[in-house]
Formats: sequence, C-alpha cells, structure tokens
Amino acid sequence: MRILRWLVAVGVIGAGGLWVLARPAPLAASAVEGLSGDITRGEAVFWAAGCASCHMAEKAEGDAELVLKGGQRFASEFGTFLAPNISQDAEHGIGTWSALDLANAITRGVSPEGEHLYPALPYASYAKMQMQDVVDLYAFMQTLPADPTPSQPHEIGFPFSQRAAVGVWKLMFVNTDWALPGNLTPTADRGRYIAEALAHCGECHTPRNALGALDTARWLAGAPNPSGDGKIPNITPAKLTWSAADIVQYLTTGFTPEYDSVGGHMAHVVENMARLPESDRQAVAEYLKAVPAAE
Amino acid sequence: MRHTILLAAALSALAFGAVAQAEDPFADAVEMRHGLMLQMATDMGKLGSMAKGEAVYDAAIASRSAENVAAIASVLSMDQFPAGSEYKAAADSFALPAIWATPDDFMAKITDLNTAAAALKVASATDVEGLKAGMGQVGAACSACHKAYRQPED
Ligand code: HEC
Ligand code: HEC
Ligand code: HEC
Repeated sequence: MRILRWLVAVGVIGAGGLWVLARPAPLAASAVEGLSGDITRGEAVFWAAGCASCHMAEKAEGDAELVLKGGQRFASEFGTFLAPNISQDAEHGIGTWSALDLANAITRGVSPEGEHLYPALPYASYAKMQMQDVVDLYAFMQTLPADPTPSQPHEIGFPFSQRAAVGVWKLMFVNTDWALPGNLTPTADRGRYIAEALAHCGECHTPRNALGALDTARWLAGAPNPSGDGKIPNITPAKLTWSAADIVQYLTTGFTPEYDSVGGHMAHVVENMARLPESDRQAVAEYLKAVPAAE
Repeated sequence: MRHTILLAAALSALAFGAVAQAEDPFADAVEMRHGLMLQMATDMGKLGSMAKGEAVYDAAIASRSAENVAAIASVLSMDQFPAGSEYKAAADSFALPAIWATPDDFMAKITDLNTAAAALKVASATDVEGLKAGMGQVGAACSACHKAYRQPED
C-alpha cells in the first residue's frame, strides 16, 4: 500500500517532467576552495555525526570502531541497505576521494560517478553541515586505516534498486531548513546544529510519512523501530520531562534519571556524545527543551 | 445474565492466569535478574545524585553504594539467564536471544562490569571528580551490555 503510493507519486512527478530536475545536483567545484582541514576538529565532527556507528563492522569496539569496513545491515520499508566500506582503501574504500567528493556524498547524496546515493546515508541531515566541518572531517578520515573488505550490494527490489528514483525523493524532501526554525539562544543554536545537522537525532526519533521522509510536523515525537520490535521514544517535552541536567547525564553516562542504563542504537549515540565537550551536550539538552511538545 | 457471563469469563481468566504463572519455568530467573539490575540502578542513583550535586558528597555513602554494585556484579552469571528465557518467549523478559548465541561475549561484558565496579570502589572514595569518572566507566559497561543484549522497551 505504502509502496503503491510511492510509485504513484514518483509516476505523477515523473510525468510532470521533473525527472530532469531530479538529476544529481553536485556542489560547485569551488565549494571547498580555500578551506583547510583540522584533524582534531574533524575528529569531533566524526563522532558527533556518528559515521562509525554505521560504517564500522557490526559490534566493533575500541580501535576497531575506526576501521570503517562496512557490512552493517539497515532494514527499512524499502529493503535492506548494507553500509559500504568507507575506509582509506584505494580500491574498496574511499582512499582516492577528494574533499569535494566527500562533501558531495554526505551533503548532497551524490557519488563521484554522479549517481544518487540512498538516503539511508543521512544526507537529509548532513545537508545542513557547514563546509568547514566537512573539510575537517575529511582531514580526520584520512588518518584512519585502510581495509580491503569489498562493499556488499544492497538487498532492495525494483523500483528502489533504481538510483534515479531517489532524485525525485530528494527534490521533495532534502533541504537545508531547520526543523526547529527561528532564532534560538546561542547555546540552543549550537544544540540545533549538533542535533539536526550532525547527530541526526530526527532520523530515529521522528515518524516518517508514506514516502519514508521525516514528518517535520511531529519532529522527535517518537517512531516505530525500523528494525522490528519496540518503539523509539518521543523526546519532545510532551513525553521527555527530564531536566537539562538529566539529559546531559544521559548523554554522558547513559544513565536515565531512574539510573536505568541506555540500550539499543541509542547506546552508540551516547558513546558518540560522551566524546564531545560537556558544553555540546548541554547545548543539545537546551535544544531539546526548546522543541515544541508533540504527542 | 450478562453479569454471570462476565463473572465466569473473569474467573476463567484468573484461573488461566494462575495456571500460566505456575507453568512459567522462567519466572524466578527473570524476577531474580530484574531484582539484581534494579538494585544496581538504585545504588548508581545514590552516586549519581552526588555527581549531579543534588546530594552532598559523602565518601562513606559513596563507598557503600559502589561496594553494592561490585557485589552484585560478582553475582551476575548465566545462572540468571537460563536458555529459553528470552524476549517474547518468557514473560516480562527483555533479554535478547543473542545472549545464548554468543555466551562468551556476554560473560565478557559481565567481567567488564566487574572491572569498572572495582575501579568505582576506589574512585568514589576519593572525591566527586573521581566519583564522576568512575560512574562514566560503569555506565559504559552497563550500556555496552544493554546495547547488544537487551531489547529496548516500547
Ligand atoms: C545511518 C547509517 C549511516 C550513517 C550515520 C552514515 N552513513 Fe555513510 N552510508 C550509509 C549507507 C547505507 C550508505 C550506502 C548508500 C548508497 O549506496 O547509496 C552510505 C554511503 C556512504 C558513502 C558513499 C560510499 C560509496 O562508496 O559510494 C560515503 C562516502 C559515506 N557513506 C560516508 C559517511 C560519513 C563520512 C558519515 C558521517 C558523517 C556517514 N557516512 C554516516 C549509512 C550511513
Ligand atoms: C540510531 C537511532 C537513534 C538516534 C540517531 C538517536 N536516538 Fe535517541 N534513542 C534511540 C532509541 C532506540 C532509544 C531507546 C533507548 C533505550 O530504550 O535504552 C532512544 C532514547 C533516547 C532518549 C531517552 C528517552 C526516554 O524517555 O527514555 C533520549 C533523551 C534520546 N534518545 C535523545 C537523543 C538525542 C538527543 C539524539 C541526537 C543527539 C538521539 N537520541 C539520536 C534511538 C536513536
Ligand atoms: C552482562 C550484561 C548486563 C550488564 C553488564 C548490565 N545489564 Fe542491566 N540488563 C541486562 C539484560 C539482559 C536486561 C534485560 C533482562 C530481562 O528483561 O530479562 C537488563 C535489564 C536492566 C534493567 C531493567 C530491569 C527491569 O526491571 O526490567 C535495569 C534497571 C538495568 N538492567 C540496569 C543496569 C545497570 C544500572 C547496570 C550497570 C551497573 C547494568 N544493568 C548492567 C544486561 C546487563
């Protein structure tokens, strides 16, 4: 049913001639010109953006988290995506990519071959990243090891196996507008950048529409768990009544106010957040407090 | 008449519930591990309120809580996780089948908790900063296991 609606939408839009517009739209070659990368800052971007959580091997711990050999599986309504190798291997990873190539992949969802990437790579969030952060990230990733494991094909059927179809989806859903618009305090503003552009909190905590795009009207209001059982909790003030200090503690140690301890995919997020300066976790807490309550 | 039917339905539901309970071979194990986990959470709570500054740091109370966590960690084993007592198979269980697929790794997570709890015992007796650092280590050990082996609740 949902898939049908998707097809209808794609068909209608396609007939309207939007296919032309839906071609991959890479950044201008000048986008990263004049920027030089800082490895230390890039490492913070790397953890905040959670690249390793998806691209390391399943269950990797410690230094193995930095071996971005891919292979983890991500179930979705449209099929199962397998994270590719993005290590520095020249043949099987992205060892030969330029900073511009990386920027195109993660902020535009366009590969160096000019093809659309699937939004399982959360470029709908990373589209809001500052170019300086991308260049810093690039500098840090170049210090990471190469691994020769070949990337595995995704397990998705027609029509989603057609990368061209992604173009229409992007036109409809990828933009650089904040989900929480308007002027915020400097702290909450920093929190918004971390939560919406880097840490992609919304990709898990926000429900999706029939086309698999985030329902920004119910931003962070909780969603079914794509991997099957259980629900990902609502973290708007409607349900999350924790104090800012409670949220900071959770993002630092994984302890809830009842001192239960975080589990599931959120445990990765907490590990990543725990590596950032305390001020960044406070910023995220302040941002969550500013999000409108939604049931 | 309607009442009689309702009453009969209620009674049979009760009877069925009692039978189901008596026949649940995992009820004790699940209750036991929940109790152990909750006690650790309670002790971490005492430490946490000092870490957050809601309670005044008291080395004696901190040490006692840390010792409790270490004692419980030393008791955790496969004994509280009998095969078959997993999520959806045993009532109230959120234990994932992966526990029995990779028991060595599960046991290693218990060992990690023991190591972190031992460090917490020392650190919590020094000062609040030590306490915070020790809590971070224990928190990481708790969540490393929950990440792999516990179904998040709805
Ligand atoms: C939620 C999981 C997830 C996260 C987080 C994630 N990725 Fe990915 N990434 C994927 C998937 C899945 C693909 C495959 C997309 C495709 O084939 O179209 C991918 C593709 C890529 C590619 C393209 C590789 C190629 O060979 O074409 C690059 C580069 C990449 N990711 C880098 C990153 C970086 C850098 C980050 C952090 C800023 C990141 N990813 C975060 C899941 C993720
Ligand atoms: C990969 C998916 C994913 C991402 C990304 C994610 N979360 Fe979560 N989050 C979860 C899951 C699953 C839980 C439930 C964890 C549990 O039950 O232990 C959760 C729980 C939480 C909770 C606790 C809610 C409660 O009532 O117990 C908070 C707070 C939270 N997340 C905040 C965030 C923030 C802030 C971000 C971004 C920085 C974020 N999450 C990103 C999946 C995710
Ligand atoms: C070796 C693995 C492991 C470690 C280490 C661990 N837990 Fe657990 N914990 C579990 C599992 C598995 C469950 C789910 C058990 C069930 O529902 O049957 C659980 C459940 C819980 C629960 C919920 C209990 C209930 O009544 O449903 C709490 C609270 C909890 N753990 C706290 C902690 C704290 C605090 C720590 C660290 C001090 C910790 N756990 C360390 C495996 C672990």
